[in-house]
Amino acid sequence: MTTQTLPPVTAPRGETTPSKPTRPLRPGSLIRFVKRAPIRVFLTVLVLVELYPLFWLLMGSFKSQSEFTSKPTWSLPESIGFENYVAAWTTGSIATNLWNSVAVTVPSLFLMLLLGVAAAYALEVMVWKGRNTILLAFVAGIMIPGQMILVPLFTVYFRSGLTSTLWPLIITYTVMGLPLTVFLMAAYFRAIPREIFEAATLDGSGMIRSFFSIGIPMMRNAIVTLALVQFFSIWNDLLIALTFTTKSSLATVQVGLLNFSDEYGSTQYGPLFAAISINVVGMLVLYLFLNKQIMAGLAAGAVKG
Amino acid sequence: MSTAFVGRRKRAIVTVIAGMGAATLLLSACASDSGSGSEGGGGTDTATAFSLLTPAENSIVRDELGVLAGDQCVAEDETLPLESETVAQADVNQKITLLASQDALPVMFVAGTAQVKPDGDLGKNDLALDYEATLKELGVWDNILPAAVSTVKAAYGGNMASLPFQYNLEGIWYNKQIFADNDVEVPETYDELLDAYEVFDKAGVTPITEPGSQGWPITRLIGNYIFRSVGPDAMEKIKSGDAKLTDPEYVEAAQAIADLGTAGYFGEGITSRDTDTAYAQFLSGEAATMYMGSWLLANLNNEEENKIGEENVGFMPFPNVEGGAGDSSQWPANAGAATAVSSKAYGPKVGDWLTCIAENYGSSVLANQGVVSGFKVNEDVADVKPLTAEIQTIVTDASETVLWFEALFDAKTTSDAQTNVSLLITGQMTADDYMNQLQSDLDQAQ
Amino acid sequence: MHVKNVLGDKKAILILLGPALLVYTLVKLVPVFWSLGLTFFTGNPLGGFEFNGVGNFVRFFTDPQAMSALGFTLKYAIVISVGQILLGYGLALLYVFVLKNASNFIRTVVFFPTILPTVAVALLFKSLFAVGDQQGPVNAGFQIIGLESVDWFATGDGTFTVAIIMELWRSMGFFAVLLYAGLLDIPDETLESARLDGASGWRLVRHIVIPLSLPVLLSSVVFSANNTLKVFDTVLALNNGGPGGETTPLTLYMYRTVFSYSDYGYGSTIAFVLTIMCFLVTLFIFRSARRDNTTA
Repeated sequence: MTTQTLPPVTAPRGETTPSKPTRPLRPGSLIRFVKRAPIRVFLTVLVLVELYPLFWLLMGSFKSQSEFTSKPTWSLPESIGFENYVAAWTTGSIATNLWNSVAVTVPSLFLMLLLGVAAAYALEVMVWKGRNTILLAFVAGIMIPGQMILVPLFTVYFRSGLTSTLWPLIITYTVMGLPLTVFLMAAYFRAIPREIFEAATLDGSGMIRSFFSIGIPMMRNAIVTLALVQFFSIWNDLLIALTFTTKSSLATVQVGLLNFSDEYGSTQYGPLFAAISINVVGMLVLYLFLNKQIMAGLAAGAVKG
Repeated sequence: MSTAFVGRRKRAIVTVIAGMGAATLLLSACASDSGSGSEGGGGTDTATAFSLLTPAENSIVRDELGVLAGDQCVAEDETLPLESETVAQADVNQKITLLASQDALPVMFVAGTAQVKPDGDLGKNDLALDYEATLKELGVWDNILPAAVSTVKAAYGGNMASLPFQYNLEGIWYNKQIFADNDVEVPETYDELLDAYEVFDKAGVTPITEPGSQGWPITRLIGNYIFRSVGPDAMEKIKSGDAKLTDPEYVEAAQAIADLGTAGYFGEGITSRDTDTAYAQFLSGEAATMYMGSWLLANLNNEEENKIGEENVGFMPFPNVEGGAGDSSQWPANAGAATAVSSKAYGPKVGDWLTCIAENYGSSVLANQGVVSGFKVNEDVADVKPLTAEIQTIVTDASETVLWFEALFDAKTTSDAQTNVSLLITGQMTADDYMNQLQSDLDQAQ
Repeated sequence: MHVKNVLGDKKAILILLGPALLVYTLVKLVPVFWSLGLTFFTGNPLGGFEFNGVGNFVRFFTDPQAMSALGFTLKYAIVISVGQILLGYGLALLYVFVLKNASNFIRTVVFFPTILPTVAVALLFKSLFAVGDQQGPVNAGFQIIGLESVDWFATGDGTFTVAIIMELWRSMGFFAVLLYAGLLDIPDETLESARLDGASGWRLVRHIVIPLSLPVLLSSVVFSANNTLKVFDTVLALNNGGPGGETTPLTLYMYRTVFSYSDYGYGSTIAFVLTIMCFLVTLFIFRSARRDNTTA
């Protein structure tokens, strides 16, 4: 006899209801409550484990250096002052880092999506010889680690004089994102019956026009999802950013964080925590707005990948 | 699919691969070009600013150059403004290689020891300015102290590849009060030192503190032991192949330092202790001794940082090892981290800066930070603090100096020595294995 | 046929595919072959290259540091992947069977750390587990319950432990959502009929749910393996691959060899070994999956 009794399902699975379905009090409900107590304890612990480090981080970002050395580590800050944040933003150049990250991510995303979706369209919707081989070439690229192309790229960028700009990053990110983009978009395009495009051509539309008038609009959701997936991929990259940023004025967020404690030369936890908090809170805001999309997108990306 | 079609596909693929192969060959042929010599700068200024790259952990040079830029060198600063950036000491090799390969070296930069030697990457390609020739040309060469010149040249294989912004002796700084409280006298031999440490340990004082996370403070101890036991030419013998790191005398040194670690004399958390924390431990009286260079004077002369008071601080040489061929009068000396100038960026404006630095740095850094440099002190500095004066005397009187453990190593061996030492002192790597790894690195580099 | 001609319109193909293919070939494919070429040389652009034949490959297999890096790469990949899948699956089961509709909040909370920059997370955990004057909550907590504080970062095992905790904390929410989506695909009727047959709880999971979620489990394993084999930022930011080289994977060892020791040739060899490993692992997982599917 199993001990687990599953309460009746009152709403279709997968949908979110903001509150638990109400149930009339029944004699067995006390037993059920006690049975669920271990689950509730577990959930509380889970949430605590997930959130405490971030809470500790946030509290630490308001502390002054002397508070770190003299008081116990979980004590609350004496005051919510923003000096650490100002220090991180200016001396610690978090502002520059954020700007660089944005300046690199947005163009890369745009180019990657434009080129990738077009390529996927040509590979999947259009019919011609050799397309499977080329698709395979793109897909194989998913497994190639950045390390393999780092050294030659580095030499080439220097040769073409691009090294004191953000262009090496943009070009590299665009290309690193192409395999996954092409692969996923090809999969999505495969799901569309070809008749739709054939009908369009019978109406006199060329393939390029079909691409813009039919292909992209149909893929809007997929493109948005993909954009989210790749956004995090680029924003959180370290290897490429570390190699191709020659000056600290070009550093992206991850590189800036890595060098942060070096800039300060010591364990100045306050500004460091402030810097990390800025990143965390920034992501949090983005997440709260888009969390469903993000979760769905990353999941889809991984399943198909 | 028909076989003809398959044949066409195959041919297409073959063509593509052949094309890529050809491209690869072409490009790799181009790649070997980039190593071929650089056009000497010399004539014109390519730099628009006096870009300076210094290690994050040591602010002496950039602070002082900043002072000069606002004072004695204000004219030079106006034509070529000073722009200062930092890099973590551990990342210097990496950063300089990256910058050099992308032709993005700053005007003046810290470089790895191996890099500026004649057979190092910068040295081979003449990317680092030869200071002797340049300063003689500018007429300011005699502002460099002769002792500093010989130390620099010894460290960098004969190249005058660095300006002696610091001229440092290294030894064991000790807290006189703690010694007195525990009835300990200044040890003259290594065994006496160990006895002293045991006393301190029992009294609840950290016997010795070091910035363990940096690696080199610990390898300094190993090097010193080797110089005392084998003699001042111990590392030269390694370089020439007359001796190996795996010889018993050398392994004994590693073992001695490993024993310090396993006995707990370094205190808790040694492997992640950074520079500021270690300094703070010594300057607040938590630790009895710290092996460090005379650059510590800057912190010792800072009243806010130095909580134990200048009168309480003493400086002793690393003691003799009984039966050893070395002597404690042989002070380890260095001229700081190599600070080179990019030969490509050199031009008249940079030359003006160098002139101003050569003439003013010595007195400026002594007056402002109490630091002894390898430049002549051209303006008399009043109120030289007692500790500083003590060090200055030793510097003037020192006849024989020794280098440091990794001084003659290549980049990889240096890196392995410094990263693996934390395993050595926590007992996770035996002294034999430690020296074995380094010796095989040296053999590989041949 | 006219339609076929349009669908096969060469000009359109060139315009749509051309840019992507060109950039891809120049920036990804050519460098791979170039890198491959470099594996037969030693040296760097600054100091020049020297032909070395297969010397680099021989060196790789006799280099204790390379072997250690290889071992760590595998160790890390296996431990983290298993952890991610187990924890993720456990959480997914929790979401589906226990929490059901109320799972949204928990899912959101647990997923959040996935999108944080990895360096930020590593620095955070570095401070969480710090020892000494500025010790973190973990060691402080130890001291409260009477244990001694542990210098996590002084040993390879300690650092590895922190790395595991950190990575699982960060990514279990992601795998939970991934596997949750897969579990949702299991039709209700199948579960209902199984329950009517008397299966419930653990037996339900073992005999019905797991077999039906094998496709998504497989994708997750591939995804996880692919990423953990290439771990770089987290080990670098956490303890610089240390102490010594104890937590240095192939990716970091390659980076150091190229940029700190300036040997581009040997570095390319290491990168090549890494690439082969990624290929092999992915292939291996797919093969064994296909075998499972055909025999199932």
